[in-house]
Amino acid sequence: MLNRSSTRAFSPFAQRPYVCQACLRRARKPLTSNASPIRISTRYLHADPQTTVKDDTPFRKVLKDAAKKKKGEKSKQSGSRSDPRLEKWELTVGIEIHAELNTARKLFSAAATSSNEPPNTHVALFDVAFPGTQPHFQQETLIPALRAALALNCDIQRRSAFDRKHYFYQDQPSGYQITQYYEPFARDGHITLYPHDFPGGVSPEGGPVTIGIKQVQMEQDTAKTIHQPPTTHMLDFNRVSHPLIEIITLPEIHHPATAAALVRKIQTMLKTVDSVTAGMEMGGMRADVNVSVRRRDGQPAHSPHSYHGVTALGQRTEIKNLPSIKAVEEAIIVERDRQIDLLEQGGVVEGETRGYTQGSKTTRRLRGKEGEIDYRYMPDPDIAPVLVGKDLVDYLRSHLPMLSDDVVRMLTESEKYGLTSKDAGTLLLLDDGDRLDYYMDVVEVLRGSHADESALLSRVGKVAGNWVLMELGALLKDEEWSPDRVPSDQLASIISHLLRKQITGRTAKLLLSLKFDGDARPVDQIIADEDLLLQPLSHDEYVAMAKALLGEKPDVVKDIVEKGRHGKVKWFVGQMMARGAEGTVEPGTAEEVLKGLLGLPRDGGK
Amino acid sequence: MSLSALAKQCIANQSSHAHLNAFVSLADKAVVLARVAAAESTRGRHDDDLVGQLIAVKDNICTSDLPTTASSGILKSFVSPYDATVVKQLRDAGAVISGKTNMDEFGMGSHSAHSHFGPVKGLSRSEGHASAGGSSGGSAIAVASGQCIAALGTDTGGSVRLPAAYTGIVGFKPSYGLLSRWGVIAYANSLDTIGILANDARQTRVLFNKLNAYDPHDPTSLPPSTRQRLRTSKLGRRLRIGIPVDYNITSLDPTVKRAWIRSLRDLEAQGHSLHNVSLPATRHALSAYYVLAPAEASSNLAKYDGVRYGSRAEGPDGTPDSVLFSKTRGQGFGPEVQRRILLGAFSLSAQAMDNYFIQAQKVRRLVQRDFDSVFAAPNPLLSVEDVEKESETENGVDVLVCPTAPTSAPLLEKVQNQDPIDAYMNDVFTVPASLAGLPAISVPVDGDGEKVGMQVIGQYGDDRMVLDTAQLLG
Repeated sequence: MLNRSSTRAFSPFAQRPYVCQACLRRARKPLTSNASPIRISTRYLHADPQTTVKDDTPFRKVLKDAAKKKKGEKSKQSGSRSDPRLEKWELTVGIEIHAELNTARKLFSAAATSSNEPPNTHVALFDVAFPGTQPHFQQETLIPALRAALALNCDIQRRSAFDRKHYFYQDQPSGYQITQYYEPFARDGHITLYPHDFPGGVSPEGGPVTIGIKQVQMEQDTAKTIHQPPTTHMLDFNRVSHPLIEIITLPEIHHPATAAALVRKIQTMLKTVDSVTAGMEMGGMRADVNVSVRRRDGQPAHSPHSYHGVTALGQRTEIKNLPSIKAVEEAIIVERDRQIDLLEQGGVVEGETRGYTQGSKTTRRLRGKEGEIDYRYMPDPDIAPVLVGKDLVDYLRSHLPMLSDDVVRMLTESEKYGLTSKDAGTLLLLDDGDRLDYYMDVVEVLRGSHADESALLSRVGKVAGNWVLMELGALLKDEEWSPDRVPSDQLASIISHLLRKQITGRTAKLLLSLKFDGDARPVDQIIADEDLLLQPLSHDEYVAMAKALLGEKPDVVKDIVEKGRHGKVKWFVGQMMARGAEGTVEPGTAEEVLKGLLGLPRDGGK
Repeated sequence: MSLSALAKQCIANQSSHAHLNAFVSLADKAVVLARVAAAESTRGRHDDDLVGQLIAVKDNICTSDLPTTASSGILKSFVSPYDATVVKQLRDAGAVISGKTNMDEFGMGSHSAHSHFGPVKGLSRSEGHASAGGSSGGSAIAVASGQCIAALGTDTGGSVRLPAAYTGIVGFKPSYGLLSRWGVIAYANSLDTIGILANDARQTRVLFNKLNAYDPHDPTSLPPSTRQRLRTSKLGRRLRIGIPVDYNITSLDPTVKRAWIRSLRDLEAQGHSLHNVSLPATRHALSAYYVLAPAEASSNLAKYDGVRYGSRAEGPDGTPDSVLFSKTRGQGFGPEVQRRILLGAFSLSAQAMDNYFIQAQKVRRLVQRDFDSVFAAPNPLLSVEDVEKESETENGVDVLVCPTAPTSAPLLEKVQNQDPIDAYMNDVFTVPASLAGLPAISVPVDGDGEKVGMQVIGQYGDDRMVLDTAQLLG
């Protein structure tokens, strides 16, 4: 018995041709305890300035892209308006967004999350479905998920639960994904898109549009597959079981641009509340869209479908795994046009799953209804329901960072800033919010130094906005943004001198460019060293200048004095300002001097 | 007898009973004896009863030094990188793991005949070997034939109690959640329970006390706060013994029925009172079990795809005209496992979910309520409000006593050609306690010259009272 069973049991074991040796070795060592991740990530739950993802896109490029986008938008819109088919057919879109949560650990094991670590170094036994292992729900992963759901105005469910979604694929070690199908943790949210959420500040709907969020659920990510043609698939399990949220919107979107704006806004929101690791550009988010069209004349017989309670819709198709906002918008346009073509030609839209490659002219069929998978959802018997207390929700809600809508409202409506919604939106988008922080610093310094000058105080926000966006932006060109290039107090000092008319606008620009190019001297010192302070004109200089001007234009003088066209005095004021060194001629003083010379009643005399 | 002598005797029995096919793999003899000797020399420092004892472990419980196959072709050469918590607990208590026992593949079977390594043979009779029962048949016969002192099994719907009954030993399934499942290969997680097989209730209790501890690795392990709410034993007072009249079915073997009556009279003679009780949902329990267990199994076994560990079929798998992993899984799983995976996949499918899985969950709840309504003690897992809603249990009983199986061990040869449905019928008395997560033990009692398994079932958490009652019977 002993001999037989040893042969039977040990010899194949020694060869173990199909066991991943590396997995076993790794699994044996630090993972056996299950509670010891190899390396604890430094990515923690709460907002930490160092952890925010930098948007490296230079300012100029953003502006250029925005301009281009706006142009494209217009041509598209005008295109749509001129496309008579869109008068007849209405588009309807629903979106599912999968976002990687910013958590230190995986959803059901103590293994650390990772993004660029060597393959298969952050894997607990449960993550690769070793026999006998069990899930350990990491409660802290709820925090960024709850923040996201709160930002999306969802009702947080007191009780939620995890289910198994079954399908076979090599990137899915258990043969099922743990998700929340029957009892998601958040339901019934909404998100409102304002004109400033659209490129160019123009919404295709004409005003704000609100899209319902059906639910937000937590689930596991899959492993990364690297295909090595022809037949090899390399698997990296670092990503497996990374916590995700899936955000499911109602099918209430009717324009491709709205879909794009929605995804962009959700991305910004999730970053703002520090829920996610990265945006779409870094692979931290992916979107699936479902697209249908229906006739606007509303014959219900032609649109009998209903999705998530929204009725009278056409047959939808789903386009999976869109990696960018641009791809979302493009895929919707080409799929809409494909469906309309099909229906106009008397065809039928099949309920199928399709794919889209960015830049291509159409979507492609991946699988049809017959290939639909019955996921056999089953509550996971090893995972207890998650109970979320009201106190936690209240705490998170009250500590939620300001969302973009609140920020835009603050920047445009408060007297402190007084920006246009376009400038506010631009500031918000630039450099992942760093530019906005810088702007607010500049305003803060200026408000401090102009506290007693109420006339100037009301202009501070707007002027600072112009300098931060336009003047500094122009210098940045293609360089990376850094708030230290021109420290905020130095820019404030420049603006302050300008507001007080101590320097000319040209001088101010010169100062900015000196500081930008690395002049280490404080602004005050440069002004002193280079003698840049504006010297106000003396009364005699005003008179001399006015006299010379009046002498040059006797016919105008005649009009004023003889015909009583006193308004033309203003013309002379303008001429004086143009003639004098920049900023030196005060229009008020010039007018008084002119009126005196012309013998007209002065304002003070009224 | 010294520990070494005891161990040598076990090892000798392993050789002489090798034909019973109780083990899938055996620990190295020399290593075992060395460990026993080492334990013997330190015995003075331990005052417990597991030091140097040879314990066999069912092959679906992970061990890092011996393969863990679950008697499946798909894991035929698998070695776990870690020890299950119960194995660690045994090792920490000084016990020596003597080998991994044969079983029905992944625990699916009632006779331990569905094994990749060949069937387990039960007790020898004139007509041939009896069934060892399943699915922990290897563990049971290893204990019964003296190849180890005690063994661990797993009990999902009776897999420890039935083999104990068929081999004439004690088999104990504690309350769900008391013993850790970390490292136990899941068949149906909401039912799977570590079970203990031993020659008597006393030895069973020794193991139970060693293993009955909270394990943070097992998310279904009962937390310490709830453990504190569980009652302690009440041995010494008069017990109210319940007789579930619904278990008196027509197919009950006369020998078993007589043994049942004798056991009850025996308990009455010891001063305990007998009371008829009704558990009407029992008749639906078996059907519910055979919906729920395969459903969970179809999910739990989805991980065996040959990608990360385990056996993989030669050549490409999942070509455009086949389903991914179908070749590997088709070759790796035996017929009974395939049958239950299909059954489970069906009952979870969109068209069958409501009529099968959901209905079965409702029956499961009814079965639990049935038990709660007959026991004097409230279910400690229910909230106070729930308990008040439950019917009056003033006249409730302390434990239930009924047969473990309708018949004594059938011949192995017969059951191997049996219709699967008939095999499922063996679990009719054991499944209700599994569905309700209750402690239940099978004790050998005299049945016209052969041993018959008598089952004691208690309220959730009354494990010690169940063991006490078992000692009264044994």
